[in-house]
Amino acid sequence: MPIDLRMTEASWHRLRELFKPSFRSGRCPETGAIGILGECRAGVRHEFLVVKLFEPGPGDLKIAAHDHLIFDSSYIRRAHLEMRRNRLAGLVFFHTHPLADAEVGFSLYDNREEPLLVENLQELEPATRVVSVVVGKTSQRGRLWLNPGSRQDLARLIVVGETLSYWLLDGRPASPAPTPAALFDRGLALTGAGALAVLAGLTVAVIGASGTGSLICELLARAGCRHIVLIDDDVIKIINLNRILYATQEDVDKGTPKVEVIRRGIEGLGLDCRVEAVKGNVLDRAVLARLREADFLIGCVDKGFPRQLLCEFAYRYHRPYIDIGSEIGGDEKGIVSLDARTSYIAPGRPCLQCAGVVTSRQLHFESLSAPERERVRAQGYSDDLVMDQPAVMDLNMRAASNGMMVVRHLLQPFLLTPLPVMILENMVTYSVKAIREPRALNPKCPACQANRRAGYGDCASALGLDEAAVLAITGNHPQ
Amino acid sequence: MCPQAVKDEVEALAQRGTAVELVEVGGQCYVLASAIPAPAPPWDRQSYDILVAIPAAYDAASLDAFYLALPYKFNNGTHPRVQGGIITVKERQWQLVSWHYQDGKPWARGLDDLASHLTHCKGFFLHRGAVNAY
Repeated sequence: MPIDLRMTEASWHRLRELFKPSFRSGRCPETGAIGILGECRAGVRHEFLVVKLFEPGPGDLKIAAHDHLIFDSSYIRRAHLEMRRNRLAGLVFFHTHPLADAEVGFSLYDNREEPLLVENLQELEPATRVVSVVVGKTSQRGRLWLNPGSRQDLARLIVVGETLSYWLLDGRPASPAPTPAALFDRGLALTGAGALAVLAGLTVAVIGASGTGSLICELLARAGCRHIVLIDDDVIKIINLNRILYATQEDVDKGTPKVEVIRRGIEGLGLDCRVEAVKGNVLDRAVLARLREADFLIGCVDKGFPRQLLCEFAYRYHRPYIDIGSEIGGDEKGIVSLDARTSYIAPGRPCLQCAGVVTSRQLHFESLSAPERERVRAQGYSDDLVMDQPAVMDLNMRAASNGMMVVRHLLQPFLLTPLPVMILENMVTYSVKAIREPRALNPKCPACQANRRAGYGDCASALGLDEAAVLAITGNHPQ
Repeated sequence: MCPQAVKDEVEALAQRGTAVELVEVGGQCYVLASAIPAPAPPWDRQSYDILVAIPAAYDAASLDAFYLALPYKFNNGTHPRVQGGIITVKERQWQLVSWHYQDGKPWARGLDDLASHLTHCKGFFLHRGAVNAY
């Protein structure tokens, strides 16, 4: 099973800054840094996530004979203590090899010293995993120590932030991307061969299989994505025929699950895109856990609670998450807005609550049990908290299209950066606005501003609700 | 099925001597807070028990309103804000009270919590439109 290392763009940039002195002209010193690691194991995916970097202070790094780098024991102890205190998975040791202009590899010194380091750390905490990454001028190589006598090469370094980048940890400079199939010739101007190869290797989770979700699946497949995990708990009803691709009257009659209809349609296109249809509610802990298998999340849901939960997931697992929504706003005089909104959530970016897309009042209303919600609704105070949004395919298409453009941009940037908090298109006024500041920023927000579990992955309690709680909210709880 | 955040807060409040406990009915979590002080008159007693419904998304979700233990009397009659649904919890009847945060002073995640909401609820008995704290 290949093992990847995942980190935030901010940490990666900081590392690159720290390593600059190693790659100036002339004789340059080795340098390094330690990080603490979360872990994610799901299906065929095994990743370590960099939770935090400990920047070296005075005396933390020393140079031994033959210019080899030594991490001071107090520096290692500091990081290991925090790892153990927070029940995290392990430590990552980054260091440079200044003379590695092209390929880079571990030295004999590294091979001799690292097992001793692993032995010492595992004496204090046997579960400690040790990752080592050596960085050259144009390449990097990584390995995992399970114990002093057993190591495994790492496959990729995945960096998530304003863009999504993949770096091979095989010690070789990046090689040219394979020539894509003729099918994608006309899209190469926007998504080149390298980005296309990345997209073809991604597993994208699409949450919500209604109008926008079906369109996003179609756009992903036609862009070259080859693996989609599609999540929704609903079946096709007559009201869905106006906007869900591939849904038929027969599906209405049979009550076919939405995810199954879209799987059938997308796989029938002959584009070599496989869709895993997951019929379940993403609020459910077991269903939410399926997202750990994905590289990328696209939310096409119309409620606040799943949106906020997907944000929490994105920060916990360092996953990029694009949230797409459309809304028809009106008053007694008629239609006042036709909005298509795209928001991008990633480490270092605001959550949907701080962006003002989701409110704590909306979350309150949506996450009460169904009978409790009815009592609140009967009071009349929550009339503005509409549960069933009006939806038409034409507006869904605009939202899905903007969302797909952001996906392409993250793999091969072409939009103005940094991406705004949200891209808001209002058809009534023919305007597209970039909302650059979060509308409801809470400096203490436990999701995006002061998240104490960011990057923890599986090392913190599972996100989501148990089945009974989901049933209570959806109105199916046994009384 | 009570959210971990409210479990932690109830434990902390109980340790400080506040009479609160968690109750779960039909998959809905409530906090039962006892002996909320009330001026008598106009109320028919000097303290009441209340129930606060805890949404599953707490503490990202706000708290709002509360249930009042029945029976009660206000000015020898009923209170105009006590008109909501009636539920049975722990073999007692409780009625939903329409007592909300003002538009200009909404719930703030990270600042408000169960303790501040109970303070907000106390404001109902004092018959003032206080929000959050006094």
